[in-house]
Amino acid sequence: MTAPSSSGSPGRATPLLAQIWAVIALPLISILLALLVGAFVILASQLVLPGGNLDLLLPLTAYAALFQGAFGNFDALVDTLISTTPLVLGGLSVGLAFKAGLFNIGAQGQFLLGALGAVAAGVALAGAPPLVAITVALAAGILAGAFWGFIPGLLKAVSGAHEVVVTIMLNYIAIAVIAAVVGGPLRQQGRPEAITPDVGNAALPVIIGNDGHAGIALAIVAVAVVAFLLFRTTLGFEIRIVGANPDAARYAGMRPRALTILTMSIAGALAGLAGAVVVLGVTHLMTPSFGTTVGFDSIAVALLGRTNPVGIVAAAFLFGALRAGASLMQIKAGIPVELIDVLQATILLFLVANPVLRRAFRLRGVKAGLETTETITKTYAGEVAPR
Amino acid sequence: MRTRFPGLALLVGLAIIASACTSASSPSASAAPSAANPCAGATAHSGGTHVFPTDKTKWKIGVTTDVGTVNDKNFNEYTFNGAKQAAAALGAAVPPVVVPKDASELAKNIQGFVNQNFDIIVTAGFNNGQATTCAAHANPDIWFIGVDQGPPCVTPDGQPDGAFKCAGDAKTLLPKYVAISFQEDQAGYLAGMAAATMSKSGTLGAIGGITLCGPCVRYIQGFQLGAQKVNPNSVLKVAWVTTSDFTKAFNDPTTGKNFGAQFITQNKPDVLFQVAGKTGNGILDAACDASILGIGVDVDQALSYPNAAKCTLTSAEKKLLLATSTDIANIVAGTQKGGDDHWDAKRDGIGYSPFHDLESKIPSGLKAQLDAAFAAMKAGTLKTCPDKCGDISTLPK
Repeated sequence: MTAPSSSGSPGRATPLLAQIWAVIALPLISILLALLVGAFVILASQLVLPGGNLDLLLPLTAYAALFQGAFGNFDALVDTLISTTPLVLGGLSVGLAFKAGLFNIGAQGQFLLGALGAVAAGVALAGAPPLVAITVALAAGILAGAFWGFIPGLLKAVSGAHEVVVTIMLNYIAIAVIAAVVGGPLRQQGRPEAITPDVGNAALPVIIGNDGHAGIALAIVAVAVVAFLLFRTTLGFEIRIVGANPDAARYAGMRPRALTILTMSIAGALAGLAGAVVVLGVTHLMTPSFGTTVGFDSIAVALLGRTNPVGIVAAAFLFGALRAGASLMQIKAGIPVELIDVLQATILLFLVANPVLRRAFRLRGVKAGLETTETITKTYAGEVAPR
Repeated sequence: MRTRFPGLALLVGLAIIASACTSASSPSASAAPSAANPCAGATAHSGGTHVFPTDKTKWKIGVTTDVGTVNDKNFNEYTFNGAKQAAAALGAAVPPVVVPKDASELAKNIQGFVNQNFDIIVTAGFNNGQATTCAAHANPDIWFIGVDQGPPCVTPDGQPDGAFKCAGDAKTLLPKYVAISFQEDQAGYLAGMAAATMSKSGTLGAIGGITLCGPCVRYIQGFQLGAQKVNPNSVLKVAWVTTSDFTKAFNDPTTGKNFGAQFITQNKPDVLFQVAGKTGNGILDAACDASILGIGVDVDQALSYPNAAKCTLTSAEKKLLLATSTDIANIVAGTQKGGDDHWDAKRDGIGYSPFHDLESKIPSGLKAQLDAAFAAMKAGTLKTCPDKCGDISTLPK
């Protein structure tokens, strides 16, 4: 909690340090403040609960268990990586769309469709050679997600239908599609409950520890690909220009419509890959109630990571660690898992309220950073469809 | 348009190449079988064979719920309460409860308790079945109680059977995995008798959460037979909140209230049975608003949902709390066996709830009738489910 007081000095340090500080100051302060708020919530909840005596050290116990559960040993670290993986991919999905000025709330639906596509292909190829089964199942997940991103992209391009509204609706449709497919054609015959068969040979191989699946490597590859795409290709340049100013992009000869469709499709593909990785790497099957919050957490990850691929990795790692450590926190400290939601939401709240933070901590030098918050504002303001 | 395809192809191509590389390397290593292993994440605890404490106050009991929240006034909550009650009876520590936020966390949460060397791990709900079986397979020396996971279906080597052939004998392969199941149709039968007795018009209603829910179908099948036993002329109308959306089916009281109100207007039942979890709480509200009687499900809903207590006649109960707490007590006492742990009338595993506020309006003979039926169930002489038990096609629309 000492970071705020030292906030002035790094500004006078070497330019490199100052640069790093300028980038990480706001997220770091937000995280520390959120932990502080979380501690107050833990203390306050003890007072509210009947028969609870006040244990002033409980926040420390909770955070220690949280840390131990996320980084305590090799297995814990692998757990963190597993939880991080879908968030990295989902964060890239949302982040890439942000870069093009699109708010992809549909990562959740694209994730679910990707999971469904992967499980469908995986079940069909459960007995095929692993190389074939895995490749096809992953491709199916990616394509299903891309399709679910393509729809809002197309609707925005041809009719101006706002992607926020369309993707939210598509999230619900995705839930219904999953229940219908898992409860219908994909259902394991003879079983009283609706559940898909196991994906068998399409399961991702374990590459680290007991259960660290190959999806972790895939996520790293995806980060490199997206970073390359955004900053080293013409397409990435166009995406960023369209996001910054659609009109300027059009005058410069770019085609915002095509780019909108393409960006949403790639974003969908990334979220779909996230879903595929979870079913092929972790659950290996699907129930119709396949619940997840990855799609929504991805929005937070993209914001926290400032839509930058490297920042997204860092943010996803933080959220992944919170997720992985939550189990031990509940076991050892008896703190409900909802505290993790409180922490995540508070971090975001502070980030969005960054002008207040900057004034409070006199962070004049740090980057405004959240160009993404401006993107949201712009998106919500309902700018017209790119023509 | 020309730019679209290279970018997408690049991404897809790279991802596929990457996956091919990682998977290609695996067969050469010893990891080949792990690709087909559905239990990759489940590992044995450390420190040799698990030793159970001789002092029964030292037993460590842990609970992991289904995705959602522990205070669901239903499955998660009553399973947890059963574990709490059993722990209190032993004098052991209050069991910690872990709530997954995501389907991918189910296995990890169970593993968390395994790593902490817990003695008994209780997992609530059918969705935990696969992960619990895996954990029990990897840790044959600690106890697992899986609520609503019976009968377990395993391969000959004791792993969850993805192909559902169930060739393995769970109770010998996984001797410390207690998979609890309930006879829902018996509870539904009792509720049906009560409903038909209280009904003046003879028109009864039943609303299930989702057509995909096997236990929901059995509840309503039993309800129908029970109602016909009391009044052969009674008419049962059945509707389902949804055919696809589980959140809507079991976690959405607002939808339940609207759906219930509409159902009542259309079908004019004067007793309405809800088999839709928390969504059903809204259905009970709708029954209250229409001044008809409602019947709750799974737990005593006059207690779990006091809002509608004034018109909740009774509830078709699965004794989640009793089953969980009894099994824990038996485990500690050394008398519990693994495998399918079926709770029916014989074991008081199902039943009907007290009439509470409506006690004064109950005809004097009803209780005796219900108790007689319950006794017949215990004796095994009462058929409470049609031949196609669990088959939705037997139900009226």
